[in-house]
Parts: sequence; C-alpha cells; structure tokens
Amino acid sequence: MLTIKSVTKRYGDLVALNDVSLEIAPGEFFGLLGPNGAGKSTLMSLVSGLRAADSGDIFVSGQNLRDASGPLRHELGLVPQSIALYTDLSAQQNLELFGQLYGLRGKELRRRVDEALDAAQLTERRRDAVKTFSGGMQRRLNISASLLHRPKLLLCDEPTVGVDPQSRNAIFDHLQRLNREGITIIYSTHYMEEAERLCSRIGIIDHGRILALGSLDTLLAQLPFEDEITFPAKTETEALAGELGALGEITTIDGTHRFRPPAGFPLSRFFALAEARSLSPRLFTSRRPTLEALFLHLTGRTLRD
Amino acid sequence: MHPIFVLYRKSCLLFLKNKVAVVITFLVPIILIYLFGHVFGLYRTESGPSGIRIAVVNQSSEPAATELIDALRKEKAFRLVTEAENADGTKRPLTEADARAAMHDNKYRYTILLPPDLVRENAIGVHLKFLSDPRNEIESQMVNGLLQKTIFTNVPQLLGKSLQLQAKRLIGQENLTAFNRTVADAVANHFGGDREKIYQSISGGDFGIGALTSHKKGQSTEGSAGLRRLDTTAGSNPGNAAPAAVPASPTEESTTEKKAGGFLSRIVSFETEQVSGKQVSNPMAARTVGGYAVMFLLFALSGSATSLFEEKRSGIFQRILSAPVRPSHILWGRFFFGMTLGIVQLSALFLAGKLFYHLDLWPHLLPLAVMTFAAAAACTAFGMFVAAVSTSPDAANGLSTLLVLTMSAIGGAWFPISMMPEAIQRFSKLTLVYWAVEGYTSIIWAGQSLLEVLPTVGILLGIAVIVMLVATWCFQRNKMFE
Ligand SMILES: Nc1ncnc2c1ncn2[C@@H]1O[C@H](COP(=O)(O)OP(=O)(O)OP(=O)(O)O)[C@@H](O)[C@H]1O
Ligand SMILES: [Mg+2]
Repeated sequence: MLTIKSVTKRYGDLVALNDVSLEIAPGEFFGLLGPNGAGKSTLMSLVSGLRAADSGDIFVSGQNLRDASGPLRHELGLVPQSIALYTDLSAQQNLELFGQLYGLRGKELRRRVDEALDAAQLTERRRDAVKTFSGGMQRRLNISASLLHRPKLLLCDEPTVGVDPQSRNAIFDHLQRLNREGITIIYSTHYMEEAERLCSRIGIIDHGRILALGSLDTLLAQLPFEDEITFPAKTETEALAGELGALGEITTIDGTHRFRPPAGFPLSRFFALAEARSLSPRLFTSRRPTLEALFLHLTGRTLRD
Repeated sequence: MHPIFVLYRKSCLLFLKNKVAVVITFLVPIILIYLFGHVFGLYRTESGPSGIRIAVVNQSSEPAATELIDALRKEKAFRLVTEAENADGTKRPLTEADARAAMHDNKYRYTILLPPDLVRENAIGVHLKFLSDPRNEIESQMVNGLLQKTIFTNVPQLLGKSLQLQAKRLIGQENLTAFNRTVADAVANHFGGDREKIYQSISGGDFGIGALTSHKKGQSTEGSAGLRRLDTTAGSNPGNAAPAAVPASPTEESTTEKKAGGFLSRIVSFETEQVSGKQVSNPMAARTVGGYAVMFLLFALSGSATSLFEEKRSGIFQRILSAPVRPSHILWGRFFFGMTLGIVQLSALFLAGKLFYHLDLWPHLLPLAVMTFAAAAACTAFGMFVAAVSTSPDAANGLSTLLVLTMSAIGGAWFPISMMPEAIQRFSKLTLVYWAVEGYTSIIWAGQSLLEVLPTVGILLGIAVIVMLVATWCFQRNKMFE
C-alpha cells in the first residue's frame, strides 16, 4: 500500500526526517509513536503530498508520489493534527465543502455527508456552527471530514489530542471499524497506550529516525528484561535503589523508581533485598514492560518530555 | 464542480457569516459617505450645516443692525443667541463680555459683534467683528461664508449706507446732499413719487429701492416699470412687461425686494458662489464616494486576505491541499471572491452616492463598470500582497492599516491632492487609490467616455497584475501553502 524509501526531509539546517524507510501493507493499522518534534507530522505531510522529500521516494499503491500526485490524492485521506475545519460554518457546510473538493456532488454528496455526520454522531448538530462544538465533537468531525471520499489509506495525525476518554473510545471504535472494512490506517501518537491498543504494527520514531519497528510483542522482545518493578522514591527506599543499580537498570521519573532486572533475574532475590530493609511488599508493583520502557531504553528519555 | 469555484463559494459564505466584515465593508462606508457629505456640503438640494449656535452682540444704534439680526435669524444654518440670563432668571441683551465668557465655556463657538461703527466712514463695506473658536477652522470658514451671504443678500441697505458715507468723505456733505437731491429730483421727475421721501431713502443708503416699492403701493405708476427696468438689467423680465395695473400686493413687494437683493448679491457674486457650492458638489461627491469606497474595499480585502493565516494555522490548507487542489486554485478562488466583493461593494457605495448626492451614474454606466472592475482587481491584488509579505495576521493588519491610510491620504481619497504639498503629490501617482479616484472623478464629474478612461483602467489592471505576481512569488517564498 505504502512504501517509503530512504526519505530525508530538512527544514533549513534541521533534519526532520533522516533516511526513513517503511513498508506498510494493505489493511494494516500502523502506529507511529514518538515524542513532540519527532517528525511524525512531517512524515504525514510527505505521504499526503503537501511537501516534497529532499531525497528518497514514496510509493502509494505502487506509484511514485512524485510522478502522479493528482489521481493518488483520491486514495489518500489526511486527518490533520489540528482541527482543520471552518469553525464559522456548520458541520454540514464543512463536509459539503470538503466533499466537493473531491468532486462529489448531488445525491452522492448528500449521502456521504449524512454518513459522515452519522459516524461522527453529529447528525443532530449538523446545522450548528463548528465553533459551538465541544473539543471531542470537533475531533470526530475532523476525522469524518477526511473520509468523505472513501480513501484507501487514512493518515491520522494525533487525532485524539485534547479529547475526553469517552470521545476517545468512540474515535477508536470508529477507526477500528474502518480498518476492519479494509482501510489502511497510519496513526501517529505520542500516547503509547493508543499505539498498544490500536495498532497491529508500530514504528518508534525520534529525531527523524525510525528506532524500532514491529508488532507490540516483537518490539517488547527487544528489551533485555521481561519485568519492570516500580516503587515510590522515598527516604526509606533510597538505599534499596542504590543497591539495585548494580543489579540492573534503574531510572527515577516523577518520584517513581523503575527497576528493570536483566532477563532471568529471579524476583525472589529482589524481594529478599526488600525484606531485609523491612519494606512492605505493597510498595512494589511488578508488570510487563511497556513501549514507554522500550522508548526509555532506546533513547534514555520518556515519550512525554 | 471546479475546486476554484468551491473555494470561491466558501469565501463568500464565510464573508456573509462574518457580520463585522459585512458591516465594515458596506454599512460603515455608507454612513461615512453620508456624514462627510454633510460636512462638505455636498447635497444639492439643501447645502450646508444647520443649527449652529451663534451669539449676536448688538452695540450699534443703526436700524439696519436690527434688520441684519432678523435676516440672520431667518438663515436656517444658524441659531441665534441674543440674550443673556441675569442671576434672577430675567433676560438682558447680550454683551461682548457675556459672549466671550460663554465662548470660553464652549457654549457656542461663534459670536458676531455689531460694533457702534457698524458702518464706518472711512471704508466701504460693513464692519463686523467675528469671534470664532479656532478649534474648528473648517466650520468657522463655513460660518464666515454664510454670514457674508446673509449680509450681502439680505441687508443691501447697509452697503448702500456705507457707499453714502464714502461719498460724503470724498465729496463732502454739502456736495453729497446736492447730489442726492438731484438724483431724488430726477427719479421723481421720471418715475413719479414723493421727492422728499426719495431723497431720505437715498441718503439713508437705500438707493430708492425701498422707497419706490413702498411708494408704488396703491399707485400704479410708471415708477414700478422703471424699477423693473433697473432690475432687468441684471437679467429678468423685459422692461415693458409692466402693465398699467400692478397689484399692490405684498407678494409683489417681496419679489421685488428679492430681486433687488439678487441684484446686489450679483455685485459680490464671487462670494456667494463659494458658499452655495453647487458647482463644486459633484466632483467632491464623486471623489468622496470613490475614495471612501476604495479605502474600505482595501480594508475589507486585506482583512479577508489575513484569513489565509488562520487557514494555514488551523491546518485547513493541509486538508484542502491533500485533496486534488493546487495552491493556485486557492489563490484564484480568493481572487474571484475579492473581485466579487469589490464589484458589489463599489456598486453599492455608488448607488448610495446617487441616493445622497444625486451622482449621475446611469449615463456613464459602461465606463463606470469597467473602472469598477479594474479598481476591484487592483484592490484584491493589494489584499493578497499584504498577506503575502506579512508573517502573521497581526503584522498583516498593521501593515494594511498603515498602507491603506497612507495611500488614501496621498492618493486623494479624502481631499483633492492639489491641497497637499508638492513633494507629497509626487508620490500620489504611485498609489492605486489615486488612479481609482481619478478614474471615478473623471467619469462622473468630467463625463469622460470609456475610451478616455482606458489609460487609467490600464494602469489599475497593470497594478493588479504586478502586485498579484509579487504576492504569488512571496507566498511561494514564505511557504504559505506548505
Ligand atoms: N514548517 C517547518 N519549518 C521548520 N521546522 C519545522 C517545520 N515543521 C516542523 N519543523 C521541525 O521539524 C521537526 C519535526 O516536526 P514535526 O511537526 O514533524 O514533529 P511531530 O512529531 O509531528 O511533533 P508533535 O508531536 O509535536 O506534533 C521539529 O523539530 C519541528 O520543529
Ligand atoms: Mg505533529
């Protein structure tokens, strides 16, 4: 569906994308996970033909974007990171306008606008100005407006920023339904939970480079540890934290120590150490590491800076 | 539907939803044009201001002074204040000190002093003192003009009196008496009437007009015919048209007086011409309407062009340009929208001008339409240019305010450029406002044909093309559509 070959994009001296290569198969729900400024939006804009790469090639359905951008645009749908709607116009007027830009008209346009309103659960507010909508409603419309022309490849650039959990779930359901219907989706986010929950394959991007690529399981398998033990950073746990540093990786973030023992490290040994310091077992949580841990492992930084 | 048309319709829709923009584009300029018309007295039917408070202090014992005050009272532009109030609420005639104090308190801005030497012995004319508040020079000029008109047209006796005094100074009282007697005798001999009465009025400065007209009452003599003859030299009825029986009606008397006033006012006609201002009304109206229309169109279009920043910021351009739409489509959509707005707005304002000032539009419809097209194109290009060279909407608003006001001022939208220093006039022709205003004035005022205004149209279209090219180049450079 989409092939990205050694794409580099610079803004002046800043290298926003550095030799990025990606292969996305039809029907995939691909997650692009990275912190602010990683280059996610830049990649989206290159794929949607808004900008040209400095070097490298992008193929959509086997066609090079450089050669045939016009007709390819009907296959692509971009959900911009911001609310790309005319907030003074009504929901329906927005949808009609963007549908018309894809050449839709008459009955067909009306039918698709109705569908889109329905999918965004905004049928009842169709005549209201978008500026009167809540953040979640605007986000839902922002997505629906990119689907009017039924693209084969949907590029969602952080489509849930500033959305309450309920609206977020509605958006997830909608996207998953679309994906089941056969639409290929590229979903960029800096929320690892979103990537973990939605995506069949994930690419971790930072400073314009793809650092890791694969399904959730294969990614997590790259970690040299299988568990992560977290406990609060307090005076009584300081000594333990110091001791653990010699046994595995330990980092402290937001008042929490995170200890990642090497593979095969017996947990009984850890609890023995804790017991020796009379620390209650309830202070400790052991869990499977997350993408967050992988990102931390790869970059030494957290996803949210 | 072509993307250009879709985007064009979107711009129209957004404009109509934006009440502020609609008001600024249509309502505000219409109101301003209306108000400025009043200020500059552009109305044909009734010119000038009304109800300006004027204090009158009468220090003269001359009976004509009272007549002058009555005449001023009839002038609808003025509201006279002749009395001051005592502490106990009773009224007393206004004194100069009262008037000065009241002017100081800004109760009124003008005072006319009729000094004891209202009619001087050593100068022709009427001696009045006019106190005005220099805060409003335009208004005081206007009041001054109106005063002169009132004096010249309504109180001719004062001038006659002045002439008599001059004669006395020059030829001496005895000679003057003799001269007046001779004239009175001659008049009585030729036209009939009471010798003594005629003499009295002539030496009173009346030239016999008032005496003759009153003398005429109840008598049908040749006197009235003679008087008419005198009057018709200034160009009205044929002299022999006076029938034997002239009805001695008040109507007749008043028309005669009016004619006499008209006769005298013709002596000083250059003065009255200025204040009545009929001949200057049209070019000024064409200039005012054209100038303000273009100025507000520039504001409207540069304001609407700054919405490009909003569309970029919100990511709408990303959405639009990821569809099968090219940046040039966006620009053309905007251009056609600007043209539509410009043509509609200019037409609306000129119709308003027709309503207010009776501008002659219909005979010049074709050149006006072509000129409007060219002016709208140039203004639209200007709006694009402002957005293209700015980095933010705030910068664009600041720049457009600065440029629009400067161009309007030096381009002659507010007043004729001939009123400005020559150094500045040299820059006038660099502004599109100048060419638009010139174009409109030469069509509506000078009645130029399409062919004659084609060069101006060409210049405006040339400005449009060049500015548009520069704007497009700037948009590309600053990556507006990325
Ligand atoms: N138009 C631009 N001009 C110059 N630099 C840019 C431009 N757009 C992005 N950048 C820079 O390129 C880098 C990548 O930006 P990009 O927007 O692609 O990141 P992102 O992953 O989408 O971040 P976010 O999560 O904050 O949206 C950043 O360092 C950013 O500052
Ligand atoms: Mg982004």
